[in-house]
Amino acid sequence: MGFQQVLFSFNLVFSIRFFEDFLLHDLYELAAFAERQANADRLKEGITVMLSLVEVKCRPWLNGMELLEDLQRNKHTLSSGDKGTDSLLQGGLREGQLTELVGPSSSGKTQFCMQAAASVAEKQDGSVFYIDTGNSFSARRIAQFICGSSDAAALRKRVLSRISCHTVYDIYTVFDTLQGLEVALKSQVKMNVNECRLRLLVVDSVSSLITPILGGSGSQGRALMVALGYLLKKLAHEHNIAVLVTNHTVGTGENGKTKPALGETWKSIPHVRLMLSRDHRNNNCTISILKHTSMPSGQTVRTMTRKDNQQCV
Amino acid sequence: MVAWTGLEHFRVGRFNPPPPAIEPDDYVTSRLPLSSSIRGKLISAGYTSLSSISSVSSTDLARDVKITESEAFEILKMANQISGSSSCNGRSSSLVNGARNAWDMLNEEEALPRITTSCSDLDKILGGGISCRDVTEIGGVPGIGKTQIGIQLSVNVQIPREFGGLGGKAIYIDTEGSFMVERALQIAQACVEDMEEYTGYMHKHFKASQVQMKPRDILENIFYFRVCSYTEQIALVNHLDKFISENKDVKVVIVDSITFHFRQDFDDLAQRTRVLSEMALKFMKLAKKFSLAVVLLNQVTTKYTEGSFQLALALGDSWSHSCTNRVILYWNGDERYAYIDKSPSLPSASASYTVTGRGLRNSSSSSKRVKMM
Repeated sequence: MGFQQVLFSFNLVFSIRFFEDFLLHDLYELAAFAERQANADRLKEGITVMLSLVEVKCRPWLNGMELLEDLQRNKHTLSSGDKGTDSLLQGGLREGQLTELVGPSSSGKTQFCMQAAASVAEKQDGSVFYIDTGNSFSARRIAQFICGSSDAAALRKRVLSRISCHTVYDIYTVFDTLQGLEVALKSQVKMNVNECRLRLLVVDSVSSLITPILGGSGSQGRALMVALGYLLKKLAHEHNIAVLVTNHTVGTGENGKTKPALGETWKSIPHVRLMLSRDHRNNNCTISILKHTSMPSGQTVRTMTRKDNQQCV
Repeated sequence: MVAWTGLEHFRVGRFNPPPPAIEPDDYVTSRLPLSSSIRGKLISAGYTSLSSISSVSSTDLARDVKITESEAFEILKMANQISGSSSCNGRSSSLVNGARNAWDMLNEEEALPRITTSCSDLDKILGGGISCRDVTEIGGVPGIGKTQIGIQLSVNVQIPREFGGLGGKAIYIDTEGSFMVERALQIAQACVEDMEEYTGYMHKHFKASQVQMKPRDILENIFYFRVCSYTEQIALVNHLDKFISENKDVKVVIVDSITFHFRQDFDDLAQRTRVLSEMALKFMKLAKKFSLAVVLLNQVTTKYTEGSFQLALALGDSWSHSCTNRVILYWNGDERYAYIDKSPSLPSASASYTVTGRGLRNSSSSSKRVKMM
């Protein structure tokens, strides 16, 4: 009842009808007005309640030491399953970061994702959430990446049951899935389940979700693209997950050099960008760094697509 | 921001604030697929989170936002679907509804049926044939046999289960007008003769069923669509969902060729990319939902890369990401070869094939090699 009166009296004088109006208004003026009213205490209580709601929604401040501790304790590096890539990235995929793989068609992006998923599920005792937009998830191929040879059937079952795959065909379903994942992760944190927590989230490929809505009239496509990027980064940071997405390339007309799709706005969203290219003659794949938070760009490494589990890390 | 807004709620007697939004408001109403004018009306009336929408009735919503009742009802339905799907509690095996375990998928994948191409070398590199639930793109120069492969697949999908086939029907979408009924009849006759020969062999050792199919039955089970412009093509793809739900036996959809109407007279290339990616996603969805194989036949174009002109599949780089598997057909001397260019689980390999009067068959050079040995 007091709340109702507070809002009613504010509305009469200051025409405050929305919460945003409340925040934009001068708080001293509101407090002075509250003083003059009969029920001054209730009004001031109302103001403090509103301000406490603001505190709850706001993010906490962190200083450098706390960030460093968080990094060392929570954000480990996950091996990507391939020695060359791990040495290039100084350890592999880092939790809390969004890594993007760019490459022309059939350059090995899906293979890289499946190899990373197999490595995380087997070696790092974590579970993997795989979002697939092109029916390219192949459980049989992932089984070929599993390294351990002792007790093969039980090991295979254990590793494969840690990878869950979700096929989506449009961006609204992806938002639903990620929101559901966020809710599930928050409730998991409360239950304090430590073993087999989610460590890797793969979206293959994010460009086929965004290309149908990008461009044209209206900027809703770009807004959704940026919203998706932010949601992925938020999931990565808050729940200590490594996020891996794939993108394709488009060719620019003048000089024929290929560049990543999705344009300039998406360019600044991932933390790490890697470019893959495949030499069709001898099946060699070259990975080069386009952008990295702590390493210079331009370094490359040459690897080979694995047929089976012979070159395990 | 808190969703509790508006003195109007007080005036009509709604004193309890709605449940706080779990997700930030910025994205929430943009998660509902709405037109921007309706979204603007919702936000200016104070409905900025999904929970505030789902807590009112449709008449109140229509009155507050000044839209029609039916629109309000649609919005409520969508909002309830979304908020219902995001509140999941305690699924043990998967974190989110609809996600499946890789272990279950492994067993399913091994049991997945494949459509044979009647050429055993080609089947070998394809891992048994064209896989269902995948979108396969087959491209090549004119005259290499793309339409022949299309007709052969639409006949082979109807091979009954007793003979190792799928026993399903086919949809053939023709954009160029290259489907020849006489050729299809010829291939169907050859297929029936092969089946009878197989039955004859089996009769010697086991009791096998009689071949019931006649070439006319095979032709009856091919649904043929002729498309003359790109708008017709898009409309047909949208309609396919309903068509296949009514004819559940369809096991393969062949589009010959997917690029024809998009290569000429398309002014806005950006729009072409958007339309094509959306069409590709629809095909993926069809393939997954009904467990059928989608085969897209594509033409080639020349591309200038690394200082020389090379042949590449048409429609550009963005389209090349829209298929699950890709097979490229090319000439090598006098022989026709097929090369697996893109596949999630098969290694790159090539195999040769020939086009005979009876359809696609192994090329005879392999038998030459045996003689030399």
